[in-house]
Amino acid sequence: MTITNNNSNGQAGNILEVENLRVSYPITGGVFARKIAEVRAVDDVSFVLQQGETLGLVGESGCGKSTVGRAIVNILRAMVYGVEISGRILYHPPQESPTTSTQANNHAGPVDLASLSRAAMRPYRPDLQMIFQDPYSSLNPRMTVGQIVEEPLTIHARLTKQERVDRVGWLLEKVGLTREQSSRYPHEFSGGQRQRIGIARALATNPRIVIADEPVSALDVSIQAQVINLMQDLQDEFGLSYLFIAHDLSLVRHISDRIAVMYLGHIVEVGSAANVYKAPMHPYSRALLSAVPRPDPDARRADRIRLSGEVPNPINKPSGCAFRTRCPIAKPSCADAVPPLELKGDRWVACPHV
Amino acid sequence: MPAPLPVGEPTPKPKPSLSVLQRRWRKFKTIKRGYYSFVIMLTAYAISFFLPVLINSKALVVRYNGEFYVPLFRYYPASTFGMDAYGEPDYRALAQQLREQNAGNWALLPPYPYSPVESLLDLPGTPPHAPSAEHFFGTDDRGRDIFARLAYGFNVSMSFAIIVLLISYVIGIWVGALIGYFGGKLDMLGLRLIEIWSSLPFLYTIIIVSSIVVPIYMPGRNLLLQPSFWMLVAILTLFDWMGITYYIRGEYYREKSKDYVGAAIAMGASDWKIMFQHILPNSLTPVISFAPFFIVGNIGALVSLDFLGFGLPAPTPSWGELIGQGMENLTKWWLVAYPLGAMFLTLLLIVFIGEAIREAFDPKSFSRLR
Repeated sequence: MTITNNNSNGQAGNILEVENLRVSYPITGGVFARKIAEVRAVDDVSFVLQQGETLGLVGESGCGKSTVGRAIVNILRAMVYGVEISGRILYHPPQESPTTSTQANNHAGPVDLASLSRAAMRPYRPDLQMIFQDPYSSLNPRMTVGQIVEEPLTIHARLTKQERVDRVGWLLEKVGLTREQSSRYPHEFSGGQRQRIGIARALATNPRIVIADEPVSALDVSIQAQVINLMQDLQDEFGLSYLFIAHDLSLVRHISDRIAVMYLGHIVEVGSAANVYKAPMHPYSRALLSAVPRPDPDARRADRIRLSGEVPNPINKPSGCAFRTRCPIAKPSCADAVPPLELKGDRWVACPHV
Repeated sequence: MPAPLPVGEPTPKPKPSLSVLQRRWRKFKTIKRGYYSFVIMLTAYAISFFLPVLINSKALVVRYNGEFYVPLFRYYPASTFGMDAYGEPDYRALAQQLREQNAGNWALLPPYPYSPVESLLDLPGTPPHAPSAEHFFGTDDRGRDIFARLAYGFNVSMSFAIIVLLISYVIGIWVGALIGYFGGKLDMLGLRLIEIWSSLPFLYTIIIVSSIVVPIYMPGRNLLLQPSFWMLVAILTLFDWMGITYYIRGEYYREKSKDYVGAAIAMGASDWKIMFQHILPNSLTPVISFAPFFIVGNIGALVSLDFLGFGLPAPTPSWGELIGQGMENLTKWWLVAYPLGAMFLTLLLIVFIGEAIREAFDPKSFSRLR
């Protein structure tokens, strides 16, 4: 598959390009813990993220959404032993880099994050930050909120201790907490407040790209709205680009400019949020969107598409199109090859039969 | 960094909030049995370092013919004090003599003026002497005061157990952290090596080592600075460090998959910093909970080695050696009853401490994480 140039504006505003990303987790067994199988969590995924936009990545649990996010911030290799990553993750650093350090100046063009070692990745870390799904496990319970938010500053920013403390206070106020709360421990906060702390930590180094890995799925609905609104305000204020990973479709529609739908490690449809929601084209997107609850009791269930069967085991994926085992319009030819993303009208769809 | 980062107005210093460890300490204090046991043990152990001032056959200070002498720290021949004897004077006799002379001279003896290595050969009868008003725990088969030996033995046993614990922990936590954090091949290889090492029979190794390196006792040197003491520490440590390694490895394995570690990696923290600044404080529960039980085990190990004769060389005051004497003198009950009583009491108090720590460190009470 070639580079999927699936944004209509050309490449000028691209800040991140993911090309043919594949991630597989090993399954080990036997006396010597050899690799006996692998889970292809992400299988040939390509997309671009534009400066200042929000790209929603949706799909059901286990389809590899989070793995994409973790691959972009390059923490998979350090967290999972034996993980295999191929493909390119091109990050476009700011053209006129005000950084005085020498590392960033050598790279005027895009940098392939997937090929960087942890040490080489370090200069780019401040630009790419991540908000984690679980606000309980993503904050170290032994550190105060101040220490948690301050840590990225200690690593990357040349600030004095007092400047760091002041910036931590400023960040906490930005996310709706108070400066005084910086000496508290995470267990003294509610889930929504903890997620705000996670956001403050992600924003500490003034990032350009924020990977939000289901940032509100652990929160209840009223808190979700607060956090989402906060994220949108911060995007407007700091010009952030979000990769917003979620399984809550109405939420993604609310926040995203464009949407990518994932199924079993593949992207099956990419398009603007409004278009994809109005008229999904890929049979999986149609089924997924028909499952969104509607507030109108008369309209609901009328056009509901029910998929039969279970999601196939990612260790043993079906040949060809991964969705063909459950697809209402599957044809025998679907088993032959993985359908590439093709431009159909206003969007990209990975199905030749629509 | 792109552009100076805005910092806003200065942040006032807020009052500190309680960390998890501080809350656990508070919880520990509410468990009275464990807390009082801890206070008693801590006090007893602290006092045991001042034993030469409390239980000793040497006088603390002697005032003789207008001059002060400190026999506790210096050697004076008996002739210094006008005594008709060779070598070091018998300070109890000297004190008695000076008191009777009533010439302004005096000797200040420790509250319990008997040394653990001094054979009291002038007592009537043959050793071991039964408990009496003067020697209320009796004497052992060489006429040495049992109470003095028990007291010094407490210091030796506790110090031994704590030193072995600390060194084992340093090694065990290091190894466990490395194999748990990096995982994969290192983990596989490390675990297999540990399994092989831990299947070596510990007692036989000690017997073999002590038959090659004959432990010697260096008179006049502090009990804790004897080379044989450190040799035993080294041997026991070699076999003890694996206990905590398994737990630390498991903790690291679990903690590493948590998102706060992912966040630390994503912000560019080094492996070293993640291992010891982020994960270690979250893996302390087994480390602290097992410590008292490790101490109990180490005391038990030292007592049994001394009992078998492979422990500290004579005449180091030791509990195991006294119990061993009891086996050879079955009718002399005080040789067994008092050392066993002392050991029982010590181990019981430490187990109480351990219980309370375990309860205070129960992960369920403070974090919703685990």
